Amino acid sequence: MKLEWTKAPMGRRNFLKTATALGAAATLPMGLAGRAMASEGGTLRVRSYGDMSTMDPAHSNGVFDEEIHASVYNKLIQYKPGSEWGWQLDAASMIEQADPTHINFALRDDIGFTNGHGAMTAEDVKFSFERIIADDTESPNKPDMGPLSHIEVTGEREGTIVLNEPFAPLWSIALPYITGNIVSKTATEAAGGRIGADPVAESGPYLRASWNPKEKTVLTRNPDWQGDAPAWDNIEILPIDDENTAEIAFEAGELDFTRVSLGSVERYRADVPNGGALIENPSLFYVWLGMNLDHPKLQNIKLRQAIQHAIDVPSILEAAYFGAVEPSTGIIAPGLIGHRDAGSIAPAADFARAAELLAESGETNVSLTLDVLNKTTFTTTAQIIQATLAGIGITVEINVLESGAFWDSGNNENLQLVLNRFSMTPDPTYATAWFTTEQAGIWNWENFRNAEFDQLHAEAARETDLEKRAEMYVRAQDLMEESGAYRFITHEATPVVHSSGVVPALRPDGLTLLRYFGKS
Amino acid sequence: MSNSRSELSIILRGVAKDPLGLIGLIIVGTIAVSAIFAAWIVPYDPIGMNIPDRMQGPSAAHWLGTDNLGRDTLSRVIMGGQVALKVALPAVFGAMAIGLTLGMIAGYGPKWLDNLLMLFFDTLRSFPTVMFALAVVALVGPSLQTVVLVVMATSIPTYGRVARTQTLTLRNSEFILAERAMGASMARILGVHMLPNIIGVLGVLAAMDVPTVIALEAGLSFLGLGVKPPTPSWGALLKDGYALIRQTPWLVVGGGLPIILATLGFTFLGESLRDVVDPKLRKNR
Repeated sequence: MKLEWTKAPMGRRNFLKTATALGAAATLPMGLAGRAMASEGGTLRVRSYGDMSTMDPAHSNGVFDEEIHASVYNKLIQYKPGSEWGWQLDAASMIEQADPTHINFALRDDIGFTNGHGAMTAEDVKFSFERIIADDTESPNKPDMGPLSHIEVTGEREGTIVLNEPFAPLWSIALPYITGNIVSKTATEAAGGRIGADPVAESGPYLRASWNPKEKTVLTRNPDWQGDAPAWDNIEILPIDDENTAEIAFEAGELDFTRVSLGSVERYRADVPNGGALIENPSLFYVWLGMNLDHPKLQNIKLRQAIQHAIDVPSILEAAYFGAVEPSTGIIAPGLIGHRDAGSIAPAADFARAAELLAESGETNVSLTLDVLNKTTFTTTAQIIQATLAGIGITVEINVLESGAFWDSGNNENLQLVLNRFSMTPDPTYATAWFTTEQAGIWNWENFRNAEFDQLHAEAARETDLEKRAEMYVRAQDLMEESGAYRFITHEATPVVHSSGVVPALRPDGLTLLRYFGKS
Repeated sequence: MSNSRSELSIILRGVAKDPLGLIGLIIVGTIAVSAIFAAWIVPYDPIGMNIPDRMQGPSAAHWLGTDNLGRDTLSRVIMGGQVALKVALPAVFGAMAIGLTLGMIAGYGPKWLDNLLMLFFDTLRSFPTVMFALAVVALVGPSLQTVVLVVMATSIPTYGRVARTQTLTLRNSEFILAERAMGASMARILGVHMLPNIIGVLGVLAAMDVPTVIALEAGLSFLGLGVKPPTPSWGALLKDGYALIRQTPWLVVGGGLPIILATLGFTFLGESLRDVVDPKLRKNR
């Protein structure tokens, strides 16, 4: 086919004129477009903030994958939806801690794998769990299994989980989360031991019907599922990274459920479109200002304490988090074992005390850098810290870094102050793990080294007495604060909205448990 | 002096006769004046926080509302113009000066030097500007100076190539040959005889480049890698505005409108200047 290019009828200058006029016209108020209503029969449309990457739990990349895995696979136990952390039976008909290192379980007899791979047996549990800890698998999730030794198969559907030493997070992370998903031994071995982007055999209440990368994942009801029937025929999971976009989609009736930005909470508190509702859950994330104890400028503990006292957390929460979150007292969120009811430093700044401490430190003309990620929340927080520290005579220069440079800060010996945010799983050991001496210069950017803290971290993971365990984590956070290297800010929050026909099933931190979503 | 003054007057009158040129001149003039006198005309301290008054809409007190730290958006827009020009003018004129010098040397000097300088220009041009900027900022950290240097480095080849082409065209002109025959030095030939014939074209190119540089600075600030907070910049306003668009859309207006106006203004002015400096183009249009 011959293509002929002719001169454009519009000259460059005319184009500029027209474009200017059109641009001006675009700023005029436009009529509201008619909203499509969310009525897709048995289809639930939810937003995920990232796309799935694998159907292999051993190589799961976290929340995006787990949302789907938890719907198409079974675990011995699953998180219980609600406002308090807990678990409920899933594939297990019975599970009990026989002694600190042995957990007996029995499987239900009505769970089978698709593609003709038969009923779920204890061999599948053994295969799935031992596969995670096998060196050959190279699973990034291996640490979640802690000191798992092996699984003893004692019957077709009975077995015992054997640990090398007691491991409290088994019940809060290992079994009900990513590593707890049970895959079919025969199907996985037939696939060469690896599961890719497509499932080899599923067993949950839903099956993955399709996956269009970056567009949509569709789950559909498993016709062979014998357990409690899920409420929805289909679930469409749409990866939408941007919260503003997700909110617009929700308001247009294109989504039934989404997490929303903290900035929109106030608006949704007043009214959620389409008769929907807002649910505000606390989050497990923790945000703090860290001080590099190895830096020559931060050797003086009185100076560090002055900084701790001069930072006004309520102002930060109001401006950067829109007043939609609570101040934190440490790295362990409310509702988890080891959460501190209060820290030794109040959230509100005490400028008089800060000035006193600075005077006691003998430091003058203090000038520090503060490294932050290039996100509006962090740059806003940094500017408030800059302003409040200026109030006691400390000059702060803000270094805004893109994510690559920021997350490489562990080995940055010039790091002074840093505003940081870590994700978290529902067990305190996951929080303290990053602040041990072993982690100094890796994820422990403050280079906080404390033998007592290290010992508490190690012993608390083995402690099965919940009360004693809680005391250990409280003490660990006391030590962090006493070092002067940390000013805890917030655990953030997970506000979500849902349309009127949906009854969400959420973990206490607001993450979805899609298989339990109901209809109203 | 009087000659250059009358030339400037002719150019300005030529620009003013063209409606788009006049619009461009007014916009650029307004931006320049507000940037120069920013410290005196801002209604509020552009970095002074007032958290209880955050994210307010336009009012008599705050014409463009306030941002998430309660800072007056109009004051930040005005001060942001100063930052934009602080980046754009040194970067563009620095690049023009270096590119002009190197381009004339390449065009007038020996062949090996020409090849060497062309290789240098091509190497610099081969870096995608934004990626190069991101890499440099990641290495040395964000600052006004970093942005200026990055923009300058990536703009030099454009000016260098134009200057070289013009020099090659002029080097065998009769008046240059006559100067050479009379024993004029290379510096004199380039500085006194060639420069006045090249500078006009580069000046037009520079005027057209200013909005590109402003947009690049805004782009880096949008990525959070431009000037450091709390210094106001149009890109940073746009970035914060985008994050808060559902809460306070006025930040996006505050950050976006001056970028659009500056781009249009400098483009109109550049086009008009080109017409005035090179009347052949006007006839051909």
